Amino acid sequence: MVNAYFLLNSVLNLLGGLVALAVSYYAYRYGRVTGSGFLKTLSLGFMMLGVGLLAQASAFIFFDLDAGKIADRGIFVYSATLVYLALQAVAYLMIAVSYSRRVQGGLKIAAAAAAVGALQIASTPSSLLLFGTHVLEFGELILVVLVALIVFQGLLIYGENRNRLALTVMGAFALILLAHIAKLSASLLSSGLLYLAGDLVQLTGFGLLLLFVLRSGPDGGN
Amino acid sequence: MAGTEKQRSTIRIYLDILLATEDEGNAKPTRILQRANLPHDRMMKHVSELQKRGLLDEVNNGESRYYTITDKGKTFVRELQRAEAFLSAFGVAL
Repeated sequence: MVNAYFLLNSVLNLLGGLVALAVSYYAYRYGRVTGSGFLKTLSLGFMMLGVGLLAQASAFIFFDLDAGKIADRGIFVYSATLVYLALQAVAYLMIAVSYSRRVQGGLKIAAAAAAVGALQIASTPSSLLLFGTHVLEFGELILVVLVALIVFQGLLIYGENRNRLALTVMGAFALILLAHIAKLSASLLSSGLLYLAGDLVQLTGFGLLLLFVLRSGPDGGN
Repeated sequence: MAGTEKQRSTIRIYLDILLATEDEGNAKPTRILQRANLPHDRMMKHVSELQKRGLLDEVNNGESRYYTITDKGKTFVRELQRAEAFLSAFGVAL
């Protein structure tokens, strides 16, 4: 049962990672055609997000981790989780910054959010970060702030252009935000089921991103 | 800012010229000029660049000069339209 839980969790992250890489590929492809710096940054952001999700999924699949082994390999799991959360945080920050170019003041908000996050990290005792019990919550909190910023920017853009694709992207990030709130709550409440629900909602968000790629992509019928 | 149209990017101008040529079939320079909304010298500069890239062909039948879009040009137009749709989701214009 426990193994099935970790396997399902890994498969959900694997699928989400593949969708993020697909978005990254199209952003890169269109960035090459148009020479758009925005698309190149966006591509890098989604690539890091995809790699982060795949790294987390493969850590559990290839090392065949279950609850017992996680307890035995505490430092490894902690390090892997830190790397995974850091990759996601950098990825969302890049997406937020590239997104915010179109929204007046958005860049300043993104920079302020990043600065607040960095200050919080700097002011946190290293023992708490590396070996404490709150690293997951702390990482998830940073992700919630960054994704909330992306959703806010998406909302402003949709309000401005009423574009169906903008709505799809904004909806995708809103679901990803909900997923990180669920994961943060799961960590605080030590609820495995809530964490899995968060993964499911996150995958639904990535599903919307896939829909966006298909609609704007080669077979989108534009 | 208010009341002024944002300057079109070069890639947007390329798309406008190629779309005009594709719609017209054999497009005369004056038609491209009207459709792409460009002064003659700038239009010719861009048309020349598009010819160099193999996206447009010039057809000269003695009295008249026309431009036609190549297959490579049509593929480029489709890709730019997809990129435009992709960008629009993030509030970015081509």
